Amino acid sequence: MRIGRYRLKLEKRVTLAGWQAALISLFAIVVALALFSIIFFLAHVNPLRAYKEIFSYAFTNRYGLLLTVNRFIFLLFATFAFIIPAKAGLWNIGMSGQLYIGALAAFAVVYAFGGKNSQSAQLNPWIVLPLMVLAAFAGGALVGGIAGYLKGKLDVNEIVLTMLLNFIAFWLVAHMIKEGGPFMNPQGRGESFALPKSLHAPLIFGVPFTIILALGSAVLLEFVFRKTSFGYQIRAFGQSPPAARYAGIRPFRIALLVFLLGGGMAGLAGYHYFGAVPGVYKIARTYGYFGDLSFYGIICGLISLNNPIAAIPVALLFGGLSIGGRFVQGKLHMGFGLDYALLGVLMITLVAFQFFYRNKIVLERVDS
Amino acid sequence: MRNVLSARKGEDMPFVPDPQQRFRPGEVILEMRNITKRFPGVVANRRITFDLRAGEIHAILGENGAGKTTLMSILFGMLQPDEGEIYVYGKKVTFRSPLDAINMGIGMVHQHRKLVSAHTVLENIILGHPRAGKVLNLKEVEEEVVALAEKYGFRIDPRARVWQLSEGEKQAVEIVKALYRGARILILDEPTSALTPQETEHLLESIVTMARSGLGVVPFITHKLPMVLAVSDRVTVLRRGEVVARLETKDVTEQLLAEKMVGRPVLFDLKKPDVPLGRPVLRVENVSTLNDKGLPALKGASFEIREGEILGIAGVSGNGQRELAEVLAGLRKLTGGRIYFDGRDITQASVLDRWKMGIGYIPAERKDVGSIGEFTLVENVLMNFYFDPSMVQHGIIDYAKALRLTKELIIEFGVSTPGPEAKAKTLSGGNLQKIILARVMARRPRLLIAALPTQGLDIGAMEFVRKKILEAKAHGAAILLISEDLDEVMSLSDRIAPIYEGEIMGIIPADEAKKEVIGAMMAGSRVEETQQ
Ligand SMILES: Nc1ncnc2c1ncn2[C@@H]1O[C@H](COP(=O)(O)OP(=O)(O)OP(=O)(O)O)[C@@H](O)[C@H]1O
Ligand SMILES: [Mg+2]
Repeated sequence: MRIGRYRLKLEKRVTLAGWQAALISLFAIVVALALFSIIFFLAHVNPLRAYKEIFSYAFTNRYGLLLTVNRFIFLLFATFAFIIPAKAGLWNIGMSGQLYIGALAAFAVVYAFGGKNSQSAQLNPWIVLPLMVLAAFAGGALVGGIAGYLKGKLDVNEIVLTMLLNFIAFWLVAHMIKEGGPFMNPQGRGESFALPKSLHAPLIFGVPFTIILALGSAVLLEFVFRKTSFGYQIRAFGQSPPAARYAGIRPFRIALLVFLLGGGMAGLAGYHYFGAVPGVYKIARTYGYFGDLSFYGIICGLISLNNPIAAIPVALLFGGLSIGGRFVQGKLHMGFGLDYALLGVLMITLVAFQFFYRNKIVLERVDS
Repeated sequence: MRNVLSARKGEDMPFVPDPQQRFRPGEVILEMRNITKRFPGVVANRRITFDLRAGEIHAILGENGAGKTTLMSILFGMLQPDEGEIYVYGKKVTFRSPLDAINMGIGMVHQHRKLVSAHTVLENIILGHPRAGKVLNLKEVEEEVVALAEKYGFRIDPRARVWQLSEGEKQAVEIVKALYRGARILILDEPTSALTPQETEHLLESIVTMARSGLGVVPFITHKLPMVLAVSDRVTVLRRGEVVARLETKDVTEQLLAEKMVGRPVLFDLKKPDVPLGRPVLRVENVSTLNDKGLPALKGASFEIREGEILGIAGVSGNGQRELAEVLAGLRKLTGGRIYFDGRDITQASVLDRWKMGIGYIPAERKDVGSIGEFTLVENVLMNFYFDPSMVQHGIIDYAKALRLTKELIIEFGVSTPGPEAKAKTLSGGNLQKIILARVMARRPRLLIAALPTQGLDIGAMEFVRKKILEAKAHGAAILLISEDLDEVMSLSDRIAPIYEGEIMGIIPADEAKKEVIGAMMAGSRVEETQQ
């Protein structure tokens, strides 16, 4: 394209620095919000006002912010569930199933300690809480591990596998918590029994301790990928399986381990939401909603280019917009599903802008 | 934007060459003027001027990293020059993508094959063809393709899957693909580096036929000087991105070309050090295996290599060499036989265990197997060190140490690159080979399996690598040298084992070996194993 004495040219990027990727993403977000304004215009709502409401509720309002942070922790775990296998070139889209089983496993610990029937049962949180966290991780890891094992041994397509496992887990939860299920709430209502008060997760400024696990995992994962031999092997396998095999890296081991770890991360998301968020403390009837939400881990992973640290702001943004969007939908009397529509537009724009991760536009002077 | 070629139809009336148009021999049909291309840290091409006449074979020579591939990528629209102009049939053109170049009748066969492995040969040939997408009569296309291939002496099976093909067969497919798309200017980047002597012979004949038929005009790029002398009309020599000589082939000698390329005289003969042979390091007993197609590829191979000994496997690619190397490296399952290393049965040992016990493997497939393009050079060096106690403590890699090692290897092996943090994909073909070699040699393996170690290297680097192999021998390594270059095998090896259709045809001490005999054995005649 030519403008006066200048010409716009599309060029392939040789390198992409972290800050460039961040800048591109930031630009994409602005474009997405601009695009989404059309929806507000159509609903005769001033988009600036709508965005102000969304952001101020999600990030400055005391109640909104707490909701945002809880979503953020959940999404961050779900993102790691995607990122770890993705670094090895494998696709985990089974975070929902893994988190369901993680949650079930955590509640099974409470069940085993007899904490099902009484809200006031006195269980020692120093023993039971860590066990719940471990069980959640193990439960998620188990589901992930099945996929990883079959992928590694028989080279079955991991996308299909993890998706099928999602269905199985979904119905397993229903079986456990609905009428007649062992985890059934004494009042019925299609949800699980509530945790006894003694097992409510400790809060830090109103935020469950799981935030430490989530942020700690980010740092740990970054360290593993960057510095350790194990992380190196995962990345090498992800870049080129034949080259990795040549170097002596065992595909089976990598496939199994990344799915165990990824599944475990999803399991933690399950514990966090159903076991640690104030006011929930049970596997809610709407658990399917959170299963769906966990798929945003895939998007967050793709946008952050599988970088666990970059995933932090991305998950925070998605968590905030899902809360803010829902709030504005109610406040401005807009149609149902505004939050998901907003996340959807954001997702498409961000993915489309990844074009600029690989290409750049340069402006050059044309002589004569 | 007048005079600028565009792939989009209807825009400024793109100039389309008439396929029937004949050019007078000697007429300039392609011209590159003052082409400059910079990459971060290097000027790959500096004010290069190059022209090509109809019916001419114009060879481009240069050391590894001299800028040959870059120049041809620009000509093929894969890279855009920072400065300079290209004229095709006298018209100025701007190629935004290879499609633009293809539409102008330019075809390119890359140094590293770019076919889709899972697809058939035929699918690969029509992939991206202007006629694909419209209703295609596959049968007709198949016949056309086969006819085209036969016309120039290429034998290809249109229904075979690409992953089943040898390098030479893939090459033929790429050329036929370009021709089928109507290429009239054919660029071949190191066309013979992966070919067998017979295939090379064939290819050269085909190239000459194409050039003389007035249909194809072929500049090509190679390190094999005798080949350049045999078929080219003119030679352009590049050094560090600049043209240092343009010569008529009839005026030059091999020695002169070598000097122009390297900037100093080059040794063509190396002295083999006299090393006393030690204990047997590798013993292979009756080893058999299958190839990727599931057919027998290696049929009962038996041999032994001792400390300080080089055993040369001479043979035309696709006769089981790759499978042999992979079996020894632990990458391929045996269907029979045993392998002993230092007297220990390692038939079942894992790849990693073999690396750890001192087996080093330099694979021929350097892009897909030997390196990881998206990784930095440091990370590529780590491919053979991520498990090594000298580089890893408690599972944590000492990246500072890996960086130091990489820097040393870059200097020692003269790898031309902006630095150790550059991605492997930015290296030129020969430099990539150097870094792989350097990294495997740095392990000081007791057994070195070197598959086509000098393939694609310039003569300076070739000399260097051969020296390095002899150095390893002097240090007492046992070396299995797999090569298609008979001269190389004969000058480096202590014993030579020609291989044909998966069978070792005999093992002959190098000082008793005659080239004709080895050649005959490589083609299938058997000589009773001579005792040394
Ligand atoms: N995409 C890239 N990014 C950065 N540097 C590059 C890139 N491609 C090539 N180079 C550099 O440009 C120089 C010329 O490379 P080129 O591939 O053209 O060499 P060549 O003459 O083909 O060598 P060889 O004989 O080894 O194939 C090298 O120094 C190489 O490292
Ligand atoms: Mg090259």
